[in-house]
Amino acid sequence: MSTQDKVKINKLPTGVPGLDEIVGGGLPEFSFNIIAGAPGSGKTTLAHQFVFANATPERPALYFTVLGESAIKMLRYQQQYTFFDPSKLPDAIRFINLSQVVLEKDLGAVLEEITKEVEKANPAVVVVDSFRTMVRKPESDMDLQSFIQRLALFLASWQATTFLIGEYAEDELRDNPIFTVADGLIWLRQTAERNSIVRKLQVIKLRGQDSVPGLHTFRITDAGVQAFSRTFGLTARKRNPPSGRRLSFGIAKLDKMLDGGVREGDSVLVAGSSGTGKSVLATQFIAEGIRQGEPGIVAVFEERPEAYAERATSLGLDLETPQKDGKLTILYLRPLDLSVDETMQSILDAVQKIGAKRLVIDSLAGFEMALSPGFRADFRESLYRMIFALTGIGVTILSTVEVDESFTEFPFSTYSISFLTDDIIRLRYVSIDGQLRKIMVVIKMRGGNHAKDIREYEITSKGVVILGKRLANYQGLISGIPVHTDRPNLADESSQDTGIEDKN
Amino acid sequence: MRDLAHRLLVYEAGAGNASEPPEHPAIRVYEKLRQSLGEFVGVAGFQSLASRALTLARPEVPSLSAAQVAADGSLEGLREIEIRFDMGKDSATDGEIILIARLLGLLRIFLGEALTLRLLRNAWPAEVFDDRNLEHGRKA
Repeated sequence: MSTQDKVKINKLPTGVPGLDEIVGGGLPEFSFNIIAGAPGSGKTTLAHQFVFANATPERPALYFTVLGESAIKMLRYQQQYTFFDPSKLPDAIRFINLSQVVLEKDLGAVLEEITKEVEKANPAVVVVDSFRTMVRKPESDMDLQSFIQRLALFLASWQATTFLIGEYAEDELRDNPIFTVADGLIWLRQTAERNSIVRKLQVIKLRGQDSVPGLHTFRITDAGVQAFSRTFGLTARKRNPPSGRRLSFGIAKLDKMLDGGVREGDSVLVAGSSGTGKSVLATQFIAEGIRQGEPGIVAVFEERPEAYAERATSLGLDLETPQKDGKLTILYLRPLDLSVDETMQSILDAVQKIGAKRLVIDSLAGFEMALSPGFRADFRESLYRMIFALTGIGVTILSTVEVDESFTEFPFSTYSISFLTDDIIRLRYVSIDGQLRKIMVVIKMRGGNHAKDIREYEITSKGVVILGKRLANYQGLISGIPVHTDRPNLADESSQDTGIEDKN
Repeated sequence: MRDLAHRLLVYEAGAGNASEPPEHPAIRVYEKLRQSLGEFVGVAGFQSLASRALTLARPEVPSLSAAQVAADGSLEGLREIEIRFDMGKDSATDGEIILIARLLGLLRIFLGEALTLRLLRNAWPAEVFDDRNLEHGRKA
């Protein structure tokens, strides 16, 4: 069958930010779906969002409430959400209570009542909340499976997209014949992770289209359910080919050490202990980008945006004006129960909003601390997904990371995340001539040349300033306790190896 | 709420069909509320609301002590009270206004003004509401 012979399945917006991406662009029209999960997991809210997103007076939504939550209280609470539009009631959305039929009659009567209302209203969307509470009489002529089978057949014929909402525990998922009838099965989970609540959803089944597999974090705010796709909504975006362009730090000597600057689309890690100037370097990187017309995002976790901007001012860098001009966003992300995906979604939203070309994450330790404890185990994996997604669309990322200063070792990062980065710049203290001085070295530039020099630098009122020539008269610099040698200066000899020569 | 209750009663007083046996406007308003809200909150849900409204109205209208809400949500014993409701006059009495106002008041407490009006518009034409502010009984 050729592509043009195939029936086109329309996709309906879910009304849940992030969920369309997860279900492959929207829910299939006329599909028969089950939203399952424990009480309080957000099933009703999710169904309401779909209803409000799709119901019209011409093709309304019928929302059948059964036993369980009182309809009046349900509306009392649901109207607090921003998606709840009272003007849609009662023409576009009708709530119909079936509790009396369920209490007094059997499932056959319930089906008859639903059929009658559907034939009368010609709805585009039908919700039964909660279908599981309908099974009250074991001696009923119709069991739940038959009821659902017949309901599915009927509603599909009447061109309605349907949601059945049911309270199910995790272990009920297997071998449940109810679920075989459904075209779509969305499972909502809510678990306690130490002191935080973690909500995750999974599209266990969705006929007719690809969905993003795995568990996706979601949150319920005053805007309703918001889902965070594990792919951050960037699966459909084409990866940009490397441009080869070099981005300047605004520090000529450092750019030279990097063979002209950081390659556009690279992920750079600046590692060093407290006070070595990681944030200063990051600020100079973002400020230079803005100076060159490249919008930037700074995600800070350890200080407030005002303080961050003030510190930049003390270095002669203006971060206030670009914020007002929409060229720079400083994100402060510090709630302690953030999921890693929603934190990253905030960053992605900001990147996409201003078309950022440079992103600073200051710092990875702060980022990790801002997360709910349950998500910290996934931190590296999530970071990998975000870096991969962002660098793929040409955003250059600079992350800072604090490493323990050891005078016997030279670790790049305590997080073992160096595999996530293309380039690593290491800052450290070194004891020379009775002073605690600072040195900088480019550890790695993936696929590119870079200086191997160890350079001394200072943090001045102008930011990071790299001093003189490389420290050629010392051995063991990276140990932090170098030994002075009387060897002649070998700077020129070493630089010939790299092809990056600095004679300043 | 009293103002809206009064408007509904006045509307029903004028909307009675001459060919049908006369029915008190308060009963017609109550029955319309039972029908339209019953679909949404269920029979038991409406019965609970109506019982609460009746309880709240009784101290102000002692004659309502003879009335009670049946299991299906209908108001029993109202016919006996009708005489005291001054049946046949165009203007509604305080007693009937208070009963309906208490019921509407409960809806507003639970659902808020906007949603209450939306639901009532299912049962009465828009002109009855006439952009009225429920809280103050004045035009917005």
